[in-house]
Amino acid sequence: MALRDDFPILQRMVHGHPLVYLDNAATTQKPQVVIDAMNDYYTQSNANVHRAVHTLAGEATDGYEGCRTRLKTWFNAERAILTSGTTEAINLVAHAWGRANLVKDDAIVLTEMEHHSDIVPWQMLAEERGIEVRYVPVLDDFTLDMDVYAASLEGAKLVCVVHTSNVLGVRNPLEDIIRLGHEAGAKVLIDAAQGVPHDRIDFEAFGADFMAFSAHKMCGPTGIGALLVRPEVFEEMEPFMGGGDMIETVTIEGSTYQTNEHKFEAGTPRIAEAIGWDAAFGWMESLDLKQEHKRMLEIARYTAAELRALGMTVYGRHDDADSAVVSFLHPTLHSEDLAHLLDAGGYAVRTGHHCAQPLLHRLGISSTVRASFYLYNTMEEAERFIAQVKIILERFV
Amino acid sequence: MTYPAQLVELIEEFQDVDDQMERLEMVFEMADEVVLIPIDDWSDRTRVVGCQSEAHVRVSLDDGKVLMASAADAQLVQGLMGILTIAINGSAPAQALLLSPAFAQEMGILKSLSPSRSNGFRNMFDKVMLEIRGLVE
Repeated sequence: MALRDDFPILQRMVHGHPLVYLDNAATTQKPQVVIDAMNDYYTQSNANVHRAVHTLAGEATDGYEGCRTRLKTWFNAERAILTSGTTEAINLVAHAWGRANLVKDDAIVLTEMEHHSDIVPWQMLAEERGIEVRYVPVLDDFTLDMDVYAASLEGAKLVCVVHTSNVLGVRNPLEDIIRLGHEAGAKVLIDAAQGVPHDRIDFEAFGADFMAFSAHKMCGPTGIGALLVRPEVFEEMEPFMGGGDMIETVTIEGSTYQTNEHKFEAGTPRIAEAIGWDAAFGWMESLDLKQEHKRMLEIARYTAAELRALGMTVYGRHDDADSAVVSFLHPTLHSEDLAHLLDAGGYAVRTGHHCAQPLLHRLGISSTVRASFYLYNTMEEAERFIAQVKIILERFV
Repeated sequence: MTYPAQLVELIEEFQDVDDQMERLEMVFEMADEVVLIPIDDWSDRTRVVGCQSEAHVRVSLDDGKVLMASAADAQLVQGLMGILTIAINGSAPAQALLLSPAFAQEMGILKSLSPSRSNGFRNMFDKVMLEIRGLVE
């Protein structure tokens, strides 16, 4: 598979075995072009952005703003605020939009499927402002209870829903969620951390008011992400962090603020990371993501079926729009034990609650083992993974 | 770090093994070495907080010597408890407190000993040491 050659880390050995990296829902590996772009910035163009007139500052600014331009083009969005990742993007909405627009007794609708980063900021704001938080339950088929969702919208000012569950891989009916949310007069935020790596979303057509995601789950660097905002909602946001770069003027009497995305990017931004992310988009541009998604989903379906045949409980359904995530549990072998034993063979998987404790509580479990596939994974790796699981079960159960 | 003789022997045994799977199998076998806390006695007081698995420890003094009892639902964690049991049970508290958690790295079992939420061994080790300190202060 030629694509794999772009990822130097895939050549490494772990405990004497070739690395099989199946922890992509946590973070993805980086192609050489991303590593080179960041290295080139630090070796050739390192400078602060926006203010200085020298050549290096111009190159750094072009690189940083080039990432924003790429985001706007890739997602067809008018406003793209660069953040440290999905978590900061959601917190930014809570502080910059929530504090300016939500008051006591307003309601926010979340779901049981959310990552902690789309629960905790709202709980904090709710406590501070006396806001009601409503949770849409997850049904036994791993989907959201849309009847409860519809009923919970009465008087709601904001809906926050995960695009694709990081535990289940289930892609939610976002079009219906957004439409119903808007009909009820609520703004809609989509946590797309697990969605954008698999699905090239047209933000304008999608219709959400906010969309948050991270670079590192789509072959970009850690430490950077984005918040896309509809232009009219952008105008409803007040500055959150104060400091350099976000101001227009500062006097001892007070300050005025930038009117563009810089208003929400106080301080020296993540320049190398933005340049690296831009390179990742450039690398992904040549791929047929729809075709790749189908291929990855086939690998996930095979893996899920084989694990079920081995007596595992698999949490997820792997419908066409779902992500290639397989969460599973053995009836007796602890998830942490299984993950350590897999690591001994070079297989990197995730265990634990995946920062989605309310969902795991709903499922009646405290952890799962999670294998998640991405662009560079192959069916042959999945077959070897299943063979390794069989060896472990024969030896340790 | 100077380790007690019984632990030195174990470290050498582990270092002689090249295959990580085999090494983990040896840790699994160490799970039998614990003085078991029955599941009915598991409580918030015995729970190792921040462990991915359900892990419990209780330390007391028996005739002035350390007596660590423990249990975990993950075999690997209980195996590490078994190794710690071999290292400290029957020792004077002051001697047990000298033990560094680095032995788990020297045995090739763990790569990292950072006290993160997912590092059950480090959290368990710290709780045991804290309880020993509490007994002698």
